[in-house]
Parts: sequence; structure tokens; C-alpha cells
Amino acid sequence: MTEPTVAVRGLAKTFYDEARGEVRAVDGIDFDCRPGEIFGLLGANGAGKTTTLRMLATILRPTAGVARLMGRDVVEEPVAARRTLGFYSATTALYPRLTARETLEFFARVNLYPEEKVDARVDYLVGRFGIAEYVGARVEKLSTGMKQKVSIARTVAHDPPILIFDEPTVGLDVINALEMARVIRELRDEGKTIIFSTHIMSEAEKLCDRIAIIHNGKILASDTLDALRVATGRHYLEDIFVDYVGGVEEMPGFIRESGSAAE
Amino acid sequence: MREASSSNGARRRRVLATLLGLELRLLLRDKRTIIIAVLLPLLIYPAFILAMRAVSRAGQERLEAATYEYAITGSEAELARSLVQEALALSAAEDDSAEVPTNFVERVADAPDSLLRAGELQLVVEWMSHEEYRAEREAEAEGDTAALRRLDELAAVPAVRLSFRSNSELSSTAASRMGARLRRLRVERRDRLLRERGLPLDPGELAKLELNNVAPAEKEAGAVLGMILTPLLVLLMLSGGSVVAADAISGEKERGTIETLLTTAARRGEIVAAKQLAIIGVGIAIAVINVANLLVYVVLGVFELPERFAVSVEPVALIVLLLLFLPLTGVISATLLALSGYSKTYREYQIYFFPVLLLFLFPSAAAVLPGIELRSAIVLVPVANISVAVREVLVGTYDWLFLGLTFAVTMAAALYTSRLTSLALSTERLITAAELDRAELIGGPALFPKRVLRWFGIMWVTLFITSLWLGATLGIRLQVVVNILGIFFGGSLLIIWRYRLQPREVLALRPVRLPVWIAVLIGAPSAYLVGVGLARLADLILPVPERMLESFGEYLIAPELALWQVILFLAVIPGIFEEIAFRGVLLSGLRKRLRPVALCLVTGAIFGLFHIDLFRIVPTAFLGAILAAVVLISGSIFPAMLWHALNNAVALVPAYLELRIAEPPLWSFGLGVLGLALAFWILWRYRSRAALAGGDGGG
Ligand SMILES: Nc1ncnc2c1ncn2[C@@H]1O[C@H](COP(=O)(O)OP(=O)(O)O)[C@@H](O)[C@H]1O
Ligand SMILES: [Mg+2]
Repeated sequence: MTEPTVAVRGLAKTFYDEARGEVRAVDGIDFDCRPGEIFGLLGANGAGKTTTLRMLATILRPTAGVARLMGRDVVEEPVAARRTLGFYSATTALYPRLTARETLEFFARVNLYPEEKVDARVDYLVGRFGIAEYVGARVEKLSTGMKQKVSIARTVAHDPPILIFDEPTVGLDVINALEMARVIRELRDEGKTIIFSTHIMSEAEKLCDRIAIIHNGKILASDTLDALRVATGRHYLEDIFVDYVGGVEEMPGFIRESGSAAE
Repeated sequence: MREASSSNGARRRRVLATLLGLELRLLLRDKRTIIIAVLLPLLIYPAFILAMRAVSRAGQERLEAATYEYAITGSEAELARSLVQEALALSAAEDDSAEVPTNFVERVADAPDSLLRAGELQLVVEWMSHEEYRAEREAEAEGDTAALRRLDELAAVPAVRLSFRSNSELSSTAASRMGARLRRLRVERRDRLLRERGLPLDPGELAKLELNNVAPAEKEAGAVLGMILTPLLVLLMLSGGSVVAADAISGEKERGTIETLLTTAARRGEIVAAKQLAIIGVGIAIAVINVANLLVYVVLGVFELPERFAVSVEPVALIVLLLLFLPLTGVISATLLALSGYSKTYREYQIYFFPVLLLFLFPSAAAVLPGIELRSAIVLVPVANISVAVREVLVGTYDWLFLGLTFAVTMAAALYTSRLTSLALSTERLITAAELDRAELIGGPALFPKRVLRWFGIMWVTLFITSLWLGATLGIRLQVVVNILGIFFGGSLLIIWRYRLQPREVLALRPVRLPVWIAVLIGAPSAYLVGVGLARLADLILPVPERMLESFGEYLIAPELALWQVILFLAVIPGIFEEIAFRGVLLSGLRKRLRPVALCLVTGAIFGLFHIDLFRIVPTAFLGAILAAVVLISGSIFPAMLWHALNNAVALVPAYLELRIAEPPLWSFGLGVLGLALAFWILWRYRSRAALAGGDGGG
């Protein structure tokens, strides 16, 4: 077995909200991820997926617990931790006034990709993600599909070993969602460690090598799909999920069908 | 090791350069920025000058065409009439532009003063004999013998008084022109006399002339320019910087790019620094364009300026102005950035922007306040001090010490705001919805320590504004009521009520043992002596201007008060209520955040700052720190109240009784130090363990 590239122990985050009081968004979770693996966080809206991933990306400061990326503690060495990371979510956007090429150059440089290799890296990304046609155009002029390609390219601009995708298919049409899944698989096959969050069962079923079921800030189960099947005696992920979570009625906002609107 | 750190430095430079490159690229690709940061400042001067010229030309024509009606009164009106006519008849040939011939018409009237007040006359020329004039001055002087003596040294010649209304331009012009003519007549007559007699006759004065002092045209113009320059610049910087700042964070937040940026290897500080540099860049561009405008239009006189705009600005002034504008740019950019970080959306930013605009515009217009000088407490108010400094520089006054102080104060404010901005950006508010912390959620007492300084800031501003506007007009008693009962005590009550605090705990209302009172009786006069010594030391560093000393003396003597009133209003009331505010609320608010020594020093410094008079800060800060220590050690506020009241009484009563105590001799400071040490020894022996140990003033 390879060493875990992502190690999370007892991670917790409490928010203090005027209306709701104390909110334990993430309530002491543990998990590990390894290279060449897609680790899925499956949970309903408000389960704590985004909060978890933002703590890994050092955007939020944990209330308790530790998390390490490539051995770097996210609280002690946030800059070093972020360098090993590419973060993509439905809400991470691009600078509209930059061109696609400038965008890739900027993110390679600001993440300290070796200066002398930046040009070659950008050329490679342009070729790989098929954005050569519009590489000189300002991002604001691009279509959603084009922007998505540039966005993925900027996530891997500095060739990080760990990639986080927080509900990346939200708001995408079927074609673009499939394209996203294809790229993520490709990146896994290149040996990246991938953490992928979703509230869509079928997506998790098809894409993830291991699945963690997260509910109310706690991880209820975490294993391969086959092992989860054995443990619960059920075949479909949907049933497995309901088994752990204990009844759909407890999960407001949970969407069972794939591809429908979310958030 | 060394290699690692230098490569770390290189890394940081590279990240910063990359970020700055991004900011500048985004900035230059935004047309609004270019228009507001470059075009607007470039065009504002010519536009302003053209408008001023049109207005002043129209005004000039009106003044030329006007008929000035004047009346002559006084015991020697006949003599006066002939002299005035002679003065008006003086040839206009050698006159400069300020004295172009105008139509003066005498009007014979019974009650010229009331006509003047009613606006039907522009000018009253009153001619008095020397005796009349002297008698009048004597009545006004109220024992100010120096002025009278000066009057007596002059020859016994008649006096002329020109009465006019300064709020009427016609009337002011009439007075200044008539005055100028009379003065010239005086000079010509004296010359003629001297010439005729050819002897060393004391030319004396043909007549004393009492007239408002019209400042030299150039200085007046400098003052006008000086008043508008800072607000203008602040307005331009705010509007220019605002576009960039809004885009910098709230725009990024709205678009979602900030999240992308925050997950890169750039540090928060680097992100803030790059954004701030971009805004400062815009601010500096605006400042440079403004100063260049000044150079082109005003110094080089590229085109003819309206009368009141002509000003001579030395090259050194331009450099000083640029230096003064630098920290101003810093404060503004940091504030805008903080604002942008604080707002969740572009819209929200625009809502907050307006109050911030006012917040800056008011102090930036401080130079407009009549009679305000840089050498006053205004030097401690960031932005306002720049405004006053700029005005002084433009009329050619260089008070280097206070210019330096101005620079330092506003620079410190800039650094402090930048730090706040960095903190604001490192909080999670940036990304997530309103992020409260625990204390904020619980509210009440838990929130109090976090907010206490904010409240005292508000109280300081209130005090500052009331003393600026009302200070002179209120009597001492009213001043005490407004400041001490209204602001200090009222503010304290408000804080206690707002955070649901326990008065007994917060104000440390606890009994103490007898020896503590004895310690206070020894300590208060001793500390006063030491304070006087410290003030003298401070005086070596920051000399107190003569005039200040005078007015402070007047304040101390307060002749309209009886002794018991002096003691009540200036010793007892401050003793009780200032202690409640500063050693009660402030001290317990800061208590959790500072260790005891720092706590005393900070409390003292804040107390000092509240004595708006710059030159009393050092002794009052010293007193404040001592009093804080007394409360901490004794665990009760009562000894501090007595100490404070005694201190004020010791300072005021001898002065009131006009006991002119000679400068305290040097050994008295030694005595003071000894007495103070003794007092603290007693206090320490009978200290309240619970009060010193308990962090929250409990138990
Ligand atoms: N800034 C915040 N303040 C208060 N509560 C928050 C904040 N951010 C998230 N939460 C709450 O934390 C819980 C988890 O949210 P999140 O991690 O976004 O869930 P998910 O990504 O799984 O949909 C939710 O109940 C959410 O409302
Ligand atoms: Mg989410």
C-alpha cells in the first residue's frame, strides 16, 4: 500500500450563526486518501462536504483536529499545503478580464511552478484540454463549456499531486458533466490523489474508488462500494446510503435523482 | 540556512510580483479606473480655474460698478471729512489693481451704525480724539495694562475706526479700499511733513487706523487653495481608489475568483499587499497628477489665474505636499480595501461607501475651520492633520516638528488600517456568509471586551467635536457637565446597559481598609509633584507655545467661579465620573486582553488622549496610569476617585487663590517620588489579592 497523501483526524468545524446558534458543520471526521484513487464524499446538501474541503484547502480554520496534505499540516503550514493542491468547485471562478493563456500563466506562477518551465507547461495544458482555439480570447467572451476547460486547466496548472473537486458537476449539462468525469478519471490514472464530493448517487457509484457517507458533519461509513455492499447486504448505493443515514425524511434537501438542480 | 531564507525571499518576491501583475492588468483593462484615476484629476484643475475665473470676473465687475456709501461720525467729523476727501482724491496712477478708483459717496445720516447693520450703508468712518479713543480702550482692556501702555507711548493723535460688515462683500471691499487710501494718505503726509521741515521730527502717526487686517492677497489665495486641496484630493482618491477596491475584493467575491485565489500558494498578506499596492498606485497617480496640475497651472502660471487663486508655491512645498499625501493615500487605500473585504457583494460595498466617504471628507475639510492651527490637538487626528498641514504649507508656514508629527500620525493610522485589513481578509468572512465568532453570538458581557475600545473611540470623537465647536462658548461649568457628565458618565452608563454588565463588578465598587485611604492622602500630592516634573521633561521635547500657557492659566484660574464651585466642578465631579469611565469601564474592558503593566500604560495613554489639549497629555497619561494601578492593587475604584479629586484640587486651588508658588525646586520631585513609593508600598501591603488575581475583576 502507498502512503496516504491526505490524512484527516478528528477534523471539526463549528459555526456560530445568528439565527441557528451553534452549528457543528463538521463534527470530528477521519479519513485517508491515496495516489491514484478517487475518494468520494457523498452527502445531502448541508452535510458538511464543502466545509470539510474548505478546511483542507485552508480557506476555513478547523475548530479541532488535524489535516495533512503530503505531510503538510493545513494549520501549521498552510502555504506549503496549498502548493500541493488544486481546488475546483462550482463557485471557483476565473478572472473575466484575463485571456485563457494569461489565466494559466498566472496560476502556474502564483503556485510557484518553476519559472523556466511555465511556458512549456501552459502549451501542454492548452494542447491537452483543447483550448488552443480560444487561448488568446478574454475569459468573459467564452462559453460555459470553454470556461470549464480553462478552469480545469488552471486547477492543474502547477501540476499538484492532490486535486479537490467540490460538486464540480453542479450546474453543468449532461455532456459537460460527462466530460468532467472523463477528465477526473484521466487525472486519477496519472497518479493524482482526488477528493470528489457530490450529492448525486449515480455519480459517486460510477466514479469513486472509495466512498465516505457524510451526514450532519459525521462520516457514517467509508469504504469501497463493494465493501459497503457486503456490510449492508444491499446492492444499490442509494439503499446503502439510506441504510446508514436512517430514513430519507430526515434529510431535507436531499435529491435522489441524478442530474437535477441542486444547492 | 541562509540559502533557504534567500530563496524564500525570492519566492515571496515572485509571488508578490505575479499578484501585482494580475492586479495592474485587471486595473488597466478597466476603463472606469482610467477615467476616474487619470482623466478626471487631469481635467479638474482647468475646469475649476475656468469656473473660478468666470465667477470672480463677474464679481469684480460688480464691485467696480458699485457705489459705496459711507457716513462720517465722531467728535472730529469735520476734520475727518476733509481728510477722507483728500484720501479719495489721491491719484490712482501708481495704484496697484487692488485699489482701482471706485465711487465713494458720503451719506449724511443720524444713526449710521444702525444703517450699516441694516445693509443700507457700506461703511462708517468714525473719527475720535486721542482721549476718547484711550478712554474706550481702557474700558475694554479690563486691566490689561500692556496694551494701554503701548497706546500711551504713541503720540496723542486722533484715531479712525472703519466699521463694516464682513459678511457683505461690498462692505468689506469698501473698508479695505478706504483703509488703504487713508493709510497712503498718512504716508504721503508724513513724507511731505518731513520733506518740508527737514528735521528729525518724530513722524508718529497722522492718525491711528483701526481696521480689519486684510491678509496679503497671495497668502489669502494660498489659504483658499489650501482649504480645498485636501478635500478635493480625498474625493478624487476615494472615487478612484474605490473602483479598484470594490473590484479587488467584493467584486472578486461576487465572481467567485477570491476563492480560487485563496487556494493558491499566495499568502493572505501577499494578496492584501498586492491589492493595496494597486490602490495606492491609483492614489499616488491621482496625487501626482494633482501636484503636477498645481505646478503647471499655479506655479508656472500656464494661464492667467483668477485673482483669489494666484498663489506662490515654492518647489519645496510641492515635495512636502507629496510627502503629506503619501500616508493619506495609505489610509484611504487600506480603508477601502477593508471595506471591500467586509462587504459580501458589490452592492453592499456601495452601501457602505457613502458613510466612509463622509468619514473622510469631514476631517479632510478641517482646514476650513476658522483659526485652527496644526500646532494643536488636531495634529493627532489622521487626515484632518494633513488637511491643516497642507493649508499651512500653502501659505508658507513650515512647522517642521508638527509636519513630521502629522506625517507620523497619519502614517501610523495607515499601517494600523492595513493590519486591520489583513486581519479582515484572513477571517473566514471572506468566503462564507457572515461569520460570527463565539463571543459575538453570545453577546452581552462576552462581547464587551472586544467593543470597549470602539466605544471609547466614539466618545473621543464626540468630545473632540464638542470641544471644537462649543469649547469656547460654554462656560467651565457647562463644559464639565457636557464632557464629564454627558460624554464620560453617559457613555459609561450606555456601555453598562448595552452589554448587561454588573456595575459592582465592572466599576469595582468595593470597600477598602483604612490604610489604603492614608496611602491615597500621601500618594496624590506626591504623584502631582512627579507629574509636574514629567511635564517639564516633556516640555523639553515638545515645547509648549507661550499662548497655550496663557490660555491654560486662564482656564485654571476661572475667575467667575467661587472656590466651592472650583472644587466641585474641577475636582470632585471629574474625580468621581472620570474614574467611572476610565478606571471603571475602560479598565475592566481591557483587563482580559492585557497584562497588568500594559493595562495601566494603555489606560493611562487613553486617558491622556482624552485631554484634548496636546500639552496636557503627558501629565494626564501619567496620572491615568497611576490611578489604574491604584484600582488594580486596591481592588476598588473609591481610592482612585479620592486620589483623582485630590490631584485636581492640589493643581487648581493654589492657582485659584493666586498663591504664586514659585517653580517647585528640584528636591520636591525627589520628595514626590519618595511619597509615591511610600503610598504604593502601603497599597501593596494592603492589596486585594482577589482583585489582582481575578482576570475579570470578579470576586
Ligand atoms: N459560514 C457559515 N455560517 C454558519 N453556518 C454555516 C456556514 N457555512 C456552512 N454552514 C452550515 O454548515 C453546514 C454544512 O454546510 P456545507 O459544508 O456547505 O454542506 P454541503 O457542502 O455538504 O452542502 C450547513 O448546515 C450550513 O448551513
Ligand atoms: Mg457544498
